[in-house]
Amino acid sequence: MNERISKIYERLKKREYRNLRSDISFDDSLEYEKNNVPLPLRVSDRLKKMVELEKPIIFPEDHIGFMRTVKNIPDILTEKEKEELSKTYLLFDHALVANISSDYEYTISVGFNKRLAEIREKLKEKNTDKEEIELKAMEESILALYSLIEKYQKEAERADNKVLAIALKKIPYEGATNYYEAALFLRIINYTLWLNGNKHNTIGRFDQYMYKYYKHDIDLKIIDEEDALNITEELFISLNFDTDLYPGEQQGDNGQSLVLGGIKRDGTSAFNELTELCLRASLELKLIDPKINLRVDKNTDFKWFKLGTELTKVGLGFPQYSNDDVVIPALIKMGYKEEDARDYVVAACWEFIIPKYGMDIPNVEALAFPKCVDKAIHSKGFLSATTYEEVEKLVNKEIEKEIKRLIDKTRNIFLIPSPFQSILMKNCVENKKDISEGNKYNNFGLHGAGLSTAADSLAAIKRCVFEDKTVNKEELVKAIDNDYEGYEKLRKYLVSAPKMGNNDDFVDNIGCKLLDKFSEECSKYKNGRGGIFRAGTGSAMYYVWYSETLGATSDGRKAKESFSANYSPSLNRNFDGVLSVIKSFTKPDLTKTCNGGPLTLEFHDTLFRNQEGIDKVASLVKTFILLKGHQLQLNAVNRDVLLDAQKHPEDHKNLIVRVWGWSGYFNELDLAYQNHIIKRLEFLN
Amino acid sequence: MKIRVFSIEEFSVYDGPGIRTTVFLKGCPLNCNWCHSPEGKRFGNVSLRSPNRCLNCGRCIEICEYNRKKCIGCAKCVDVCPRDLIRMSAIDYEVSELVSKLLKNADILKINNGGITISGGEPLFQVDETLELVKCLKGKTHIALQTSGYGNSQKFKEIIDNIDLVLFDMKVMDEEQAKKFEGIDNSLIFKNLEILKNSKTKFIIRVPLIPGVIDTKENLKEIINKIKGAKDLVRVELLPYNKYAGSKYKLAGLKFEPMYDENMESNPHLDLFKANDIEVRVL
Repeated sequence: MNERISKIYERLKKREYRNLRSDISFDDSLEYEKNNVPLPLRVSDRLKKMVELEKPIIFPEDHIGFMRTVKNIPDILTEKEKEELSKTYLLFDHALVANISSDYEYTISVGFNKRLAEIREKLKEKNTDKEEIELKAMEESILALYSLIEKYQKEAERADNKVLAIALKKIPYEGATNYYEAALFLRIINYTLWLNGNKHNTIGRFDQYMYKYYKHDIDLKIIDEEDALNITEELFISLNFDTDLYPGEQQGDNGQSLVLGGIKRDGTSAFNELTELCLRASLELKLIDPKINLRVDKNTDFKWFKLGTELTKVGLGFPQYSNDDVVIPALIKMGYKEEDARDYVVAACWEFIIPKYGMDIPNVEALAFPKCVDKAIHSKGFLSATTYEEVEKLVNKEIEKEIKRLIDKTRNIFLIPSPFQSILMKNCVENKKDISEGNKYNNFGLHGAGLSTAADSLAAIKRCVFEDKTVNKEELVKAIDNDYEGYEKLRKYLVSAPKMGNNDDFVDNIGCKLLDKFSEECSKYKNGRGGIFRAGTGSAMYYVWYSETLGATSDGRKAKESFSANYSPSLNRNFDGVLSVIKSFTKPDLTKTCNGGPLTLEFHDTLFRNQEGIDKVASLVKTFILLKGHQLQLNAVNRDVLLDAQKHPEDHKNLIVRVWGWSGYFNELDLAYQNHIIKRLEFLN
Repeated sequence: MKIRVFSIEEFSVYDGPGIRTTVFLKGCPLNCNWCHSPEGKRFGNVSLRSPNRCLNCGRCIEICEYNRKKCIGCAKCVDVCPRDLIRMSAIDYEVSELVSKLLKNADILKINNGGITISGGEPLFQVDETLELVKCLKGKTHIALQTSGYGNSQKFKEIIDNIDLVLFDMKVMDEEQAKKFEGIDNSLIFKNLEILKNSKTKFIIRVPLIPGVIDTKENLKEIINKIKGAKDLVRVELLPYNKYAGSKYKLAGLKFEPMYDENMESNPHLDLFKANDIEVRVL
């Protein structure tokens, strides 16, 4: 990082620039409703107005910049309209187009003038009213962007920032021709997407679509490696300027995932010099954005595992690894074309999606496995069951019912059009159709929360009720209903039954069966857009939500105790260790439940103290890949530090932790999430 | 044959090559003042109570015949803790049962050129059991023994002849000082070191750098004198003093009373080892 970048970095850390923002806001939704303005035009109109309100701030050291000065993005629908839509559709996640991955490659290389010309060509054709409106809104969105850039360019001139003043005369109108221009272009797209009201804007395969610019500059000696690092770092810093304004469950949950490595569309290795440069930049900056994902497979050079582990050591909770050997075949099995599958990226947290072509909604709901077990235990058949297999059938029936319920609820989803996002995707301009209506891939994903709690609960029933025959069913149900008050001995006994994560087939096989059933049920349905439902191993925030409403469970868990996040062993239990956990969690055929959702492993930060420790952690990651795990996320943590941060937040302003699929500043998390993270660490040596 | 274990640690990174599982056998004849595993010292089985998250509900005291002032290992308190915070300090395994537990992730150990490390306590304290364990593991995985070298010489020889690597501790060299800080006569250790040097088994010398006690120039020089030129010496590993040494005493219901200055920085004196052409690594 050179002196100029450090200045920007310090500015970000101090966060004072955020005081320059205004609270100014407007709400035209009633006006829109009254005049019956079509939705795409409302969105482009809002973008235009947001741009008008924005006041460019350019510091002398900025070569990229772009900071928001207007906090609020108003709604374009009235409450009444939302109510009306809700009768037919689910307005999922505020009905925002979110969590998809743009075609940065094409846009950055041709520029918006070309896109504008393409749209105008289409407008000349004989169009339906709807097509006309959608194309018009795309055109308007580009014009709004242009007026933003003109403002910035003027301000750059006024501020005598020559670099930006010159660059903004070309970018984003023309395609980028060098690495700096491409980085600036990317930032402008990213900034505009947020300003346009999109959510969870992913960064995608940065080391692929940016590589040609990097290579061009290095080959022609326009820049050297250090210049490239500085440009990358300035871009990465800029992705953090406004994260507090981005909508999400918790701050930090903003979806700016960046994917590195893996294989190319043609199947050859995609690792390159930029892969390494990005890892270096993230390591130096220690910022929560962009969130680094590393695609690896059994043939990946060990060097990348080592570089990844160096980054893990920093304690940001990334890189998150995904295994091409599992994910690509899984995506093909789900119906994705091989070339597209090879191009997969990671959505906001861990969901596998396809850039450019995908309008998947990979997080529509979550199946709560423990809830299905609970319902089975409280169903009529339980008390009369004479074998464990009968209980298993009852659980399966509950899974069937629950999945049907979730699918009925989410089958028809309405999304507010997003003309600007449409320009950034394949097919939308060409087909004169807004991205909100779908694209080549329109699949929905269901998370699966609390798998290990459910598997452990069933294992306890199998062992204690049916094999040892020491617990009777009536007593068990009573104990659960009383939250084990007065049944402490029974609870202990249930706790002593096998737990998923100890490499014990007795319980691991139950987990495998639950996952298989989940995927089998999903495969029976189609969503309202003709896509499938994908089963996954993620939990998102559901591990907290569901666990708060569920009573005690037969694994000995008391009411309200949390499930584990994502695809991990239960909390509050002792485990043999990380090797057994890896063995247990690589037993299922994960190509069947590959919506995304990592196994999370936590390591005490002292493990990383020297090269030997780093090499061994890297070997462990490689082992997970060889054993066909699908996704892995490692944390280097220190419980004492977190406890201290709760007591003295002022001393830990920049402490970063991994939450469920993303990293955030510890101080900015709700207490429930802080406590959950601390709890995860209690059994760490 | 039963063998008494106080812990099994998977992915123990600093106990030999590759990815390993280490089994810690209970009981140790030494009484090192800096011991960081006090729960492994005594052979007796007692309850351990984790202080984190304790509700202070008093149920464990209520059920204890001795009000938790002493422990006879009856384990009654384990069953009453509502937060599962109490466990027993030892688990007794049949050797064959322990072998299957240690080898349950053998594929991972193998692809990562690792294996099993037998540590303690002091494994030689349960010398017959250790020998039996070694014999059962032999041929199935890479075996390392971590030892203070204090134990029956004949059996020690038999053990090391059946394994791949020995991690041999060298601590206080002066006889009087050893009595003071470790509570033993260190001549047996030196005798076993000679046996090790004359065997064909590779070994690593490990030195915990207790400030002012072990990390002094004189002491380190003495260590070097004993090991230099040994043909199967792989290297020396120096362990800087770990300020968490006292952290488990509360769990074990013991008091940590260091007779040295905990806040002094360890001095590895790397030059001494280099001057004698000994490969050295700081862990």
